[in-house]
This record gives sequence, C-alpha cells and structure tokens, in this order.
Amino acid sequence: MVPAWPSVPPAPGTQTATAYQTTYQTPAFTPVQVRQGFGQTYSAPQPVYPATAYGAHSHLSPQTNPSTVNSTPATPSTPAQAKIEWPESVRSYVQRAFLQHNMDESVSRQEMEVKLKETISHAAATGAMYTIDWEAMPLPQHMIKASRVQYLQQAQLPAALSFPAATATSKKRKSSDMSEMGVSGGAAPPWRANQSRLEDRVTSPADKRLAGSEATPKALTKHQLKLEKRQKRFDGGYQSSYRDPSPPPSNGPVVGTCQDLEKRYLRLTAAPNPSVVRPESVLRKTLELLKRKWRKEQNYNYICDQFKSMRQDLTVQRIRNEFTVEVYEIHARIALEKGDLGEYNQCQTQLKALYQQGIKGKPLEFKAYRILYFIHTANRTALNDVLADLTTAEKSERAIKHALGVRSALALGNYHRFFQLYNDTPNMGAYLMDMFVARERLAALCNICKAYKPDVPLRFITDELLFESDADAAQFILDHGGENLLEDRNGTVVVLTGKASNIFEPARAAAFGRVDIKGQI
Amino acid sequence: MDALFSDFSDAQKSCDGFKLSRTISPALPFDKLRNVWKSCNAQDVKNVVKRGIHNTYISKAQALPKDETAGWIEVYSAYWKAVGALVKVRDSLSPNNKSPWANVYETWKEVVSLLHRGYLAHGFEAWTVPCLYVAGKYLREFAVKADEERNNSSSMDSSAEANFQDDFNPEAEQHEKLEDCARQLNRLFNLCLSDRAPLDNSRKWGIYHVANLLFKTYFKLNSAPLSNNILKSLSAGRGDMPPLSKFPKSQQVTYKYYEGVLRFLEEDYVQAEKHLTEAWSMCHKDAMKNKEMILTYLVPCHLLTTHTLPTKKLLEPYPRLQKLFLPLSRHIKGGELHAFDLALQEGEDEFVKRRIYLTLERGRDIALRNLLRKVFLAGGFEEAKTEGASKVRRTRVPIAEFTAAISLGSHQTLDGDEVECFLANMIYKNLMKGYIARERGVVVLSKSGAFPGTGV
Repeated sequence: MVPAWPSVPPAPGTQTATAYQTTYQTPAFTPVQVRQGFGQTYSAPQPVYPATAYGAHSHLSPQTNPSTVNSTPATPSTPAQAKIEWPESVRSYVQRAFLQHNMDESVSRQEMEVKLKETISHAAATGAMYTIDWEAMPLPQHMIKASRVQYLQQAQLPAALSFPAATATSKKRKSSDMSEMGVSGGAAPPWRANQSRLEDRVTSPADKRLAGSEATPKALTKHQLKLEKRQKRFDGGYQSSYRDPSPPPSNGPVVGTCQDLEKRYLRLTAAPNPSVVRPESVLRKTLELLKRKWRKEQNYNYICDQFKSMRQDLTVQRIRNEFTVEVYEIHARIALEKGDLGEYNQCQTQLKALYQQGIKGKPLEFKAYRILYFIHTANRTALNDVLADLTTAEKSERAIKHALGVRSALALGNYHRFFQLYNDTPNMGAYLMDMFVARERLAALCNICKAYKPDVPLRFITDELLFESDADAAQFILDHGGENLLEDRNGTVVVLTGKASNIFEPARAAAFGRVDIKGQI
Repeated sequence: MDALFSDFSDAQKSCDGFKLSRTISPALPFDKLRNVWKSCNAQDVKNVVKRGIHNTYISKAQALPKDETAGWIEVYSAYWKAVGALVKVRDSLSPNNKSPWANVYETWKEVVSLLHRGYLAHGFEAWTVPCLYVAGKYLREFAVKADEERNNSSSMDSSAEANFQDDFNPEAEQHEKLEDCARQLNRLFNLCLSDRAPLDNSRKWGIYHVANLLFKTYFKLNSAPLSNNILKSLSAGRGDMPPLSKFPKSQQVTYKYYEGVLRFLEEDYVQAEKHLTEAWSMCHKDAMKNKEMILTYLVPCHLLTTHTLPTKKLLEPYPRLQKLFLPLSRHIKGGELHAFDLALQEGEDEFVKRRIYLTLERGRDIALRNLLRKVFLAGGFEEAKTEGASKVRRTRVPIAEFTAAISLGSHQTLDGDEVECFLANMIYKNLMKGYIARERGVVVLSKSGAFPGTGV
C-alpha cells in the first residue's frame, strides 16, 4: 500500500493531519517531490538530531552511536525536482533500521516509517542527501524515542503524525502552539530565522521545563500540562523527585569533545554524551562568535537558543568560573534588552549562586537588577531576602544605591523621587524600570487627582511623571479614560484633577494586579 | 533494649501514644544509645526485636495482632540501625564515611517510611500518632545537620541529577536533604489528612503537629509560600476534621502563629492580626520566647491597622523587642521624621532579618502625619469674624510651612514638588483631609477633622 504522499510537505506549524495516515507495509520509498525554497543562505546550522546522540538508547545499536554528530553545514544545492536516485548509503540506512535486532518494541513500524520518510525527505529537501553521514545517522526508532521524551516538535511534522495517540487532542491546538514548539525545540528554523518570535520565546521556557519526565507525552494539551505542573508543585514542590528511572548517571562531570561552535539547544533527558558537549576552549570561541553575531544580526531567537545550549554545556561539565559568569551575564543582558524576563530570570538565579561562590563578575550591576526585578514582580518576600543579602559597602555603590532608592521611593509613594531616579538609571536597569513605569504613573496620577484641586497644568504632569512631551502625557491620560479632564485655557492645557474622582483607579488596580512572568522566581 | 520493649508493652497496654513515641526517640543519653546499638548485630536484630516484643506479652490475649506486631518489628529494626548511625557520629568511628550525618538522615528516613507503611499496611492505631511527631521532628533535625555537613565540606558533586538540568540549582544544592525532608513530612501530612476512620480513632488528630513541622521546614527552606498549600488543604478538609480548638494548646498556638506570619508576609495585615492575636492570647504565660516571636509580628500589624504603638509596659519583659520598637515608636509619636528615618536605618539589619523592615517602613506615614498635624496646630486659629463665634482653625496652610517642618529635622532643603508629593500621598491615603491648590501654593484642609482619628 502506497500512502498518499503530499506533493508539497506541510508548511511548518500547519495542521495536515490527514496526510500519512495509512500503514506502510514495506519500507519502500517512492520518489518524493522535494521541498522547495530552502536553497537560500543558512544562518543556523543544518538541523541534526543530537537528541539521539545523548546515548539514552544507544546501547541498542552501537554502530549508530556517532562519535561526532554530523553538523556539516548544509551546502545548499539546487533541489532536484524530478526523481531521485537514492544513494547506496541511504538504502543501507533504511535496511538497517528494519533489521530485527535493531527493532524496538515501543516504537511501532508505522511510526518508524513515517520518521524514516521524514528524515530522508528532509535530507533530500535540504540537499544534504550526500553530505550526511548515514552510517552515523541515528535510526528512526531512536529518534522517535528521543523525541518522545523531549517534547520536541520536529517542525516539519505535526505532532499527530509522529504520535498517533495525539490525534484526538491535536485539533484543539492552535497554530501558535505549533510554532511555539517549533521554536522551543531548537534554533529558529532557517525559514524563520529572520522573523522575530519574541512572544514564543517568552512563553516557551515554562513549557519546556515540563518535558522532564518520560511520562509526559508531548501531545498533552496545554491545559493538561498546566495541571500536571500544578500537581508537581503541590506535591512537595521539588522537581527532583519526579524523575523517572533513567540510566544511571555517570559519576562526575562530563568532559566534552565536541568541536562545533554552534549547537542548537535541546533539553537533556538523559546523561549527556561527551561527543555533543563542547569543552570550555570551544565555548570561549563560541561566545566570541555569538557576540559578533548579536551585534550584526540582532536575531534574538537564534542568540537565546545558542546561549541556552552554551549554558547547558557549562552545567553538564560543571564549569563554574569567570567564563561561566560572563556567559550568564551576557545572556542576562541580552534577555533584558529584549524583555525576555523568563530567560533573564534563569540567568539571574545562576549568577547569584555563582557570585556567592566568590567568582568574579559584575555582582553589583546584577544585584541592582535583582532589586528592580523584584520591585517589578512586587515580590516582597524576595525583596526582603535581597535586602538581607546586601552588605553596608554594597549599599553605597551607585547601582545598588539607585535600586534601593527606587524601592524606598515606591514604598513611600514618593513618585516625585521615583521619576527622578528613573531619569538617571545606571547600566541597563532602565529596561527593567520600563516594565513598571506605566503602572507607577497610574498610581501617581491617582494620587494627584485626589490631592490637587481644582486643576494642575499638564506640564506639571509631564514633568512630575517624566513624560517625553506634553503630548505623551496627554495621550497617557486619554488612554486611561481621562478624555474629559483636559482643557485648554488660554493656550496652556490644564488637567481638571478636581473632576477626575476615581477615573484612574480601575486601571491602577489592574496594573498592579497582574505581574505574571513565566519562570518567575 | 529490654527496657525499650517493656516501655513499648506498657504503652500498648495503656494506649499512651506519647509514651510509645519515647521508645523510638533518638534523643537518649549517649551510653543508652550505645547500649541499644551494642545489644545486637545486623544479622540478628530482627530476631532480637521479635523476641523482645513477644516476651513482653504475658498472655496471648494481650498480644497485638500479628500483622501489627510485624510492622513494629520493622520499625524497631530500622530504629536500631539509625541508632547505630548516630553512635558512629558521636564516636567518629568511621573515618571513611565522610558524611556521617547524611547517613543518620538516611537511616532515620527509613524509620519514617516504615512507620508510614505501618499505618497503611500493618494497621497501626491512631493513638500512636505521637510516634509520627518524634519521627518527623528528628528527620528535620538530621536533615539540617546533614546539609550543614555537606555545605561545610563544600563538595559540589552532591547531586547526580544536576546532569539533566540546563542550569544547576543552587537552592537544591544547599538544602538537598531538607528538601527531601519536606517531601517526607508532606507524606506524613497526607497520611494524617487522608484517614477516613471515625474521628475518635483517626490519624487526623496528628495533622496540626505535622503541619507545624512542615511550616517550620518551609520557612527554613526560604519557601514559605509553599505553606499556603497546607493551609489550603486544611481549610478544604475543615468539614470532616476536628476543630482546631480540640487540639492541644501548644499545637494551636504554633499553628496560629504560622498562619498569622504567612498572612503578614502577604501583607494581609487584618487577617495576620487576627491570627496572631489568637496565638498571643493562648500562648502559655511563661513561654517568653514564643510570646516574643508573636509580638515581633503583632506589633507592626497593629501599627498599620490601628495606628497604635506598643506601650512600654507591654514590652517591658522583652529587652530585645524594646530595642526593636521603642525608638521607632517614640519618633512616630513625636512626628520626628528625620529621627525616624535614622532609627529605621539603624535597625535595618535586624528588621530585615525578621522580615518586618518593609512593614515598619510604612510607619513613616504615621510619623509624617503627626508632623503635619503639628504644623496645622501651630497655625492657630482664624481671626474670628464675628464676636462670640466658635473658634475655627486656620485651614489654609502654605506649603512652605510644611516644607519647613519636614526640613527641620534633616537640615536638608526639600524641593517643593517633593513636599507636594508627600502631601498628596497623605491625602490619598486618607491620613489627611483636604486638597492642594497648586496655583496658590497652599493646602486647604478640612474644617472638620483634617487629620481623621486624631481629634483635630
């Protein structure tokens, strides 16, 4: 039975659940039409399948355990339109996949065939058919198993296909979910490399964290995942107890041997394989490369992904030194600049611990961020902890003094001082302050409206709340329902505070009620 | 060990849970611990325990059911092993073993889980729950010791699981055993919570004690918010639970204290005050340390909710609290704003440590209110327009006067806008009634009650 092979593979992120449903009797492959339009330049490395190389199941077939994972950048070749002559290496790869001793009970033949097709057509599509080391390519059953554990969505196939069980729920998933998973799985796919998918990045880390246990089928709906996460939290709260029996971890840190500069981020679910872990010397070069790329391209998706894989490599090798600090600091700053608080947060937590171990870096800068961050999340308990951590000497340092000043100004409702401090924020603290400045403006406006009668000049609001211009101030008032409060009086605009009563209260309450950040400490 | 079994038998006969719990206590004089340890060896411990328990039964009628006996045999065998680990710590017998406390923790954890299993599988009766108290209490202590020990040796390869994480988890590394302990205590908590037996024979009677242990653990772990889950499941199961007032006073006080502190940390001062007041009124009159802890939070609560300050008499028995609160109180009362700031700064470290800094800081509003009130009073009265009319205070106060008053203490000139900002805050918070007329540079205060609740 020959399946209906769609003439054009589904676009990433779309549902084409109707395809590929038939059972394959033989692994015979009909020539496929080839994906078009990928011949452009690649900024990301050729997508490989490093997941399998982590060795979770490699004992099944030692010959497939690659010593170095293929990471040859794809040489873009003009995709062939017509029939393809399969190279010998591909044929033997297919044969090997179906050898009796390589079979895996938990992976159905059907799934394997789908996977095989996917792999090969992908290779064909990217023109990597002849450059891939098929000998070293992991077998489809291993890829499937690895991808199951990882909640990793191969961007080309909707979840439903590699997972028949998912069909029931998959309809509910929106396309945004699909793209989110696609992104979270690794570096931005080449066809999306230049698009900014910031929203995806901000929301994805929490989802990824769920992928820890093998019991999590990746097709669970978001709701179910949320429930499960709740369950985990309430059940004693700590992730560590929920790890399924995994292969016994090796003693002591891994020492990496991988020489590639770039590597996509994949969440570990098994002990890492040294061949895909980069040693510090390589990571140092990577950092330089990434710094250059960030300056040149400003592609946050790519940068974030690369930094995450760097952090992972550092962690598995237990490298904790000034270089580690540098990596986290740079990632934190970039995340801050892009408003990715989830990622920023993770870095911040690590940095705190690293500084505590006495490793040099920029602790003052980051402690100041930490204070500002907790002001933003209105986390009083954490704020108290930060205060407890500060030494007297630190309190007199400029950045920290500034952050503490912000804190006390807000605690006392001193908006006048708060906006003065906002105007003069050291380092990148302004990015953090930007996040709560609107909320504080509302609070101040509520204050002013209640206290001043009958009116104040608009310029007073502009100056006190540090708007760029009178127009900005007026716009802000209009945006929050104050259209009746502005009056032009002989050329000066005044705000009729006496008439405002409680106009801004709801907006203020809403602004203070909702600070929800994924990965929040 | 024989003494242990006769106590066991006595306790079983009289259904005395606390007596029974003492038989599994690891807090014995050292020579007793050693005697227990020396009384048998790893091969025959089960037999010795078995014989020990059976010998205490005079007649068959008295004997526990076979199943239950089996459960206790397991518990005491594990207990013997844990005692062994403890003896080794004291003796420093095992130079090879670098982490003797971790060993104690693990062996004690075994005692805990066997007890847990005893209730589920061997039909231990509900009156024996004090054993859970002892087990939980020492599990926590051993966990803390084990963590200290590991952190002192500062080896970083504690947890193999770090391998699977993208980033290492500093908190987990610091409190590895205590986090584990929290999980174990949680199991005990659920063991008590989920008992469906009728109330007079229910493990639910153990629940508040275990809950208190959990609170203590969560606070130490810096994850006090997790305690809210406990509060939630307790209030959800309130219907089929004995009322808190039926539990021992000590448990009630501790529970109310933690509930109050948790509300305090969430800034729900009204609820916090309610719970803390209950704890305060029930607390044993001689439990000075506990009373001091309750007051540490109750006093700031009171300051914010009712704007009242502690009296000298109240704080008299607590020199530490006097040091904490009296200077601040004095400055608030006198409206000495600058002195208040200084005092707050002075005590900052201590306040922060007790998590009351951010609350006390808000006392500044009251200090400021009192200062502004003084300005208002100093303004005197309007000139009477008609003869014989009642005197009216001057309600139009120039902002400059307030500015002068605020600058008086600190000798720093404040910018007029900032003073206006303070005044706006006072008005917004209803501490002062009136409005600012910016154009004219005056504050127009209410003729009736410019400072609500202060008599003017």
